[in-house]
Amino acid sequence: MSTRLLDNSELVSWLGAMSRAATAGDEEALGVALAGFEGVRNSTVTMQVRRVANDLQFALDHFHASAQLKDMAQRRVPDARHRLAHVLRLTDDAAHRTMDLVERSAPLADHATHEADRLIQLQKAGSTVQQIAPQLTAFVTLVSAGMGAVRSNLAEVLIAQGYQDLTGQIIRGVMKLTQELESALADLLRIAGPDTSEEAIAADAPGAHGPAVPGAAAHDAVGGQQDVDALLSQLGV
Amino acid sequence: MQSNLSFLVVDDFSTMRRIIKNLLNDLGYANITEADDGNTALPMLKNGKFDFLITDWNMPGMPGLDLVKHVRADARLGKMPVLMLTAEAKREQIVEAVQAGVNGYVIKPFTAATLKEKIEKILAAHSAAA
Repeated sequence: MSTRLLDNSELVSWLGAMSRAATAGDEEALGVALAGFEGVRNSTVTMQVRRVANDLQFALDHFHASAQLKDMAQRRVPDARHRLAHVLRLTDDAAHRTMDLVERSAPLADHATHEADRLIQLQKAGSTVQQIAPQLTAFVTLVSAGMGAVRSNLAEVLIAQGYQDLTGQIIRGVMKLTQELESALADLLRIAGPDTSEEAIAADAPGAHGPAVPGAAAHDAVGGQQDVDALLSQLGV
Repeated sequence: MQSNLSFLVVDDFSTMRRIIKNLLNDLGYANITEADDGNTALPMLKNGKFDFLITDWNMPGMPGLDLVKHVRADARLGKMPVLMLTAEAKREQIVEAVQAGVNGYVIKPFTAATLKEKIEKILAAHSAAA
């Protein structure tokens, strides 16, 4: 408002100069006063237009950040949560499928080992190859069938790892969303004007539980089981 | 080697419970029961006859650290061997677990050899103390 009063007083001043020049019949002075009057009037309008433009830009920025965050909060974050739940299911299924196949293969290997040990014991006890020929034939048949099944199970284990492709794509999508969310929140904070320094943000971060992640903030984490053992030893465990 | 020792394995992830169970089977331990958090495990421990507790830390419901504190506070369960098997790898957390009374601490991911070594070490110390 003070700018407007100042501008008005300048305009009044130029009007006075115009009046005096007209009264005196000084055409040159009248021209100067008229130009001065126009100049002040134009600068006032320009200033007001600039202020309106700034206000409009601020409102647009705010609206853009709010609209972006609203879309993220209402649609994209729940969608990401749903996708991560699917990742959990896929990894869980793949792990169980793999363990099913391992558990199916292990007894085949155990059986073959057990039969081989039995034949070795027979040989050590003095049995000739001819004497144990039927058992040898049965063993070779057993190993052939067993290893065929193990090979087939291993192929299935390999296929079960295909989950990584799907989960990888979903996780990449969620990473992109978190980047956009970070950017939108930073915009909002910039508009709102609070301290957005890394220290201020870090100070509010909750202490997370879970596995140590390489490259992620994990102060005071041990480097491996050897470090754990050394620490336990210091503590008398 | 077959052992009649009875284990309770507590972890919220069924895959991890299954991995531990398989490894224990390979080590000759066949008597294994599962629970998915401390709230489920505690009544099982109080009402059952378990010889060894293997627990995760970070679980919804009652976390493993609280379960260990409950076990140590219980007159009957107080001396039970406890191995914490967890992804929590901060030094202060390990110290906290030791203060709560764990007998061993293994961080995930772990190997079969590590699990075997720690269980045997705990059992040896336990039988020496008994």
